[in-house]
Amino acid sequence: MGGGSRRSKKRMRGEMEDYYEEEEEEDDGTGQEFVPGAAKRDAEEGDVNEAPEDEYGAKDYRSQMALKPDHESRPIWIAPNGHIFLEAFSPVYKHAHDFLIAIAEPVCRPEHIHEYKLTAYSLYAAVSVGLQTEDIIEYLTRLSKTAIPGGIIEFIRLCTVSYGKVKLVLKQNKYFVESSHPDVLQKLLKDPVIQQCRLRRSDDDNALEESSIKKTSGAAALNSAFSAGGADPSRSGNPSDDPTAGNEGGNDAAVPTDITDFYSKIDAEEDDEEEQKVVSFEVNQEKIEVIQKRCIQLEYPLLAEYDFRNDTRNPDINIDLKPSAILRPYQEKSLRKMFGNGRARSGVIVLPCGAGKSLTGVTACCTVRKRAIVLCNSGVSVEQWKQQFKLWSTADDAIICRFTSDAKDKPMGCSILVTTYSMITHTQKRSWEAEQTMKWLQEQEWGIMLLDEVHSIPAKMFRKVLTMVQAHCKLGLTATLVREDDKIADLNFLIGPKLYEANWLELSKNGFIAKVQCAEVWCPMSPEFYGSYLNMKISKKLLLCVMNPNKFRACQFLIRYHERRSDKIIVFSDNVFALKHYAHKLGKPFIYGPTSQQERLQIIQNFKFNPKINTVFVSKVADTSFDLPEANVLIQISSHGGSRRQEAQRLGRILRAKKGAVAEEYNAFFYTLVSEDTLEMSYSRKRQRFLVNQGYSYKVVTKMAGMEQEDLHYKSKEEQMALLQQVLAASDADADEERLPGEGPARAGGSGGSFGRRYGALSSLSGADDAVYREYKKSSSNPYGKHPLFKKFRTK
Amino acid sequence: MVNVTKGVLVECDPAMKQFLLHLDEREALGRKFVLNDLDETHLFVSADIIKVLKEKIDELLDKISVPVHE
Repeated sequence: MGGGSRRSKKRMRGEMEDYYEEEEEEDDGTGQEFVPGAAKRDAEEGDVNEAPEDEYGAKDYRSQMALKPDHESRPIWIAPNGHIFLEAFSPVYKHAHDFLIAIAEPVCRPEHIHEYKLTAYSLYAAVSVGLQTEDIIEYLTRLSKTAIPGGIIEFIRLCTVSYGKVKLVLKQNKYFVESSHPDVLQKLLKDPVIQQCRLRRSDDDNALEESSIKKTSGAAALNSAFSAGGADPSRSGNPSDDPTAGNEGGNDAAVPTDITDFYSKIDAEEDDEEEQKVVSFEVNQEKIEVIQKRCIQLEYPLLAEYDFRNDTRNPDINIDLKPSAILRPYQEKSLRKMFGNGRARSGVIVLPCGAGKSLTGVTACCTVRKRAIVLCNSGVSVEQWKQQFKLWSTADDAIICRFTSDAKDKPMGCSILVTTYSMITHTQKRSWEAEQTMKWLQEQEWGIMLLDEVHSIPAKMFRKVLTMVQAHCKLGLTATLVREDDKIADLNFLIGPKLYEANWLELSKNGFIAKVQCAEVWCPMSPEFYGSYLNMKISKKLLLCVMNPNKFRACQFLIRYHERRSDKIIVFSDNVFALKHYAHKLGKPFIYGPTSQQERLQIIQNFKFNPKINTVFVSKVADTSFDLPEANVLIQISSHGGSRRQEAQRLGRILRAKKGAVAEEYNAFFYTLVSEDTLEMSYSRKRQRFLVNQGYSYKVVTKMAGMEQEDLHYKSKEEQMALLQQVLAASDADADEERLPGEGPARAGGSGGSFGRRYGALSSLSGADDAVYREYKKSSSNPYGKHPLFKKFRTK
Repeated sequence: MVNVTKGVLVECDPAMKQFLLHLDEREALGRKFVLNDLDETHLFVSADIIKVLKEKIDELLDKISVPVHE
């Protein structure tokens, strides 16, 4: 089954990693110390007795894995290399899915069979949300169609034995290292480094403090937050709320009882209020960093938890959810993972774009009710976060403030600060005011730090932010946590484990996000363009692909077609030259890097409310956190190589659920225009991988009906030739993709940066060619006459 | 004087025709082979190149695009 193509997929993934490496900034290697050794283990290495492979690379495990007699009613296979296959049509799918998402990384989730992989990170995440080693193994055994391979059990043990045993807790403004395993704590205390970090009230105070804490259930913690906001408490705390739960009822008979029994047991454990013996010792606040590092070296990474209810030093802020804010089941589930035991854990929540990440973030802030700092990656999204806060919570202008280069708010003393990553990490000279704000910001103890689009920040920048801003709890939000990239792994330890990842297809089935029809439109290259394409170097080649008149016509046709249906359309082009040309020719507004903030907002406002503006052209500045909720058609005319992340982010622009939409029908459209027989074809294949793994399918369109009847541009050969001349005359810099500040070097295929080579004399380069030195007698343009006193100022 | 060259009429899509012209110009097959450029979709090429062309064309096409599968 599914294993057949795994080999080749793997290989392909390796190939694609290269694209990410280009995007991520070079890491200086200091990240390594944040990652415990166990994390580098791979389940696949444990696969010692290699199974025979057939010619497609599929492995034959029949000899190693014997089926259980009642295998038909059990939903998963676990291969000895750590891959898990789940039948999505099984009656216990729901349970198994919830469990697998907690312990393994989703690899590929199409309609019927889902593939997951056990990794050290995923197990770390599982432990940190409170699952025990034995429970994991036990439940896996029950779900599996076969006996679990010994290597896997070994792997799970290895990865989970040391994780999650010790926690770093901030209680009553003191840091404690806490553990329910006294032996582990004793072991840690024998380490000289840790001993130094320990804070002793008196010299002979060597005993561990023993206390029993009452574990309040996660549901209770959240409930109180919701009811405070006025939301219906009965909505939360009940896992069977999920809309899909209804259709399972009938099939229950077929499920072996041990599976359901055990599931409810685990569920109950999570929610139970129980007394637990915990031992702890206090830590010197200044040595937190040291002890964290040391513990990772000792392979007992500290899980940071923030006991925000008992934090009295930091003042509560007055913010609650509005009664109108109702959480969707998956948002709730993700938050329950975060506030699992009445404390706030740090971690990353992965939700598709448009699935309500902001509401999740706002709710988290409302639950913690301490000073919050929100970091996002552009000025526009700063505005959007502010709006989101005002929309969902009782926060008003007085307590939310923006800290950006052009916002005029006074950030000092506010409770919710919204800013950008670059603002924090800015190294050049700031204005005096900004300087003061930074100082203030660094002195604060923030309750919660929200990190928007957390995948997009390079590790280096990220570490800088973390050292500058002190926050008790960090919540990362993203849509595309690219998994095979090692730098994402760093995030696991810088922020925390992945707490939740949603299934895209399921959300769209339930109508939480739009149902998107993805289409790849193949546009034949016009002969003249293809002729020059073959003779050009790579950067020009890509420009020729984009400027292909047939593509232009297809684009114009699609825009017309959808404008007639009164759809709202966004057209993406990475190439600025093409962007401008298309937009000018079609008379549409466009936004790209140099567009000023004010103009951007103006265009966005018009796009939202003006019925005459239905199409907007954007460059890659709009890839992430550019909220255009009205848009439901996306046309992509040029893109960044084979980047899957960009593809997914772009799709996200139209994923927001449309009002009054019927869930069965497609209500959003995603077109990628591709020039046939060119590089774009293979790039587009690569880009689609991520979404295909999420279960999306692409339709290939080679011919669009009705295109002949339309009166489109570039119909005649003459017009096409004129266009070709324009393209050929374009300089190298034009041909290059736009580059945004903070991005790494341009694509390797590009012409290598913005340096151009020009020939000419030195004098002409300095602009002296046709410069003539002349003396002008300055005519007085000032009608009021000059007073010699002001002369100095005027001539400036 | 009349020169007689034996040739073959090739019919293909416009893009492929451009590719053949490109090969011809670059002498990728060792020499020029296009005798006459007839119209959008037709070329007249010398007869003796056909065998080599058939063998090499796929390989050459692959060369200009990045392979997706190894």
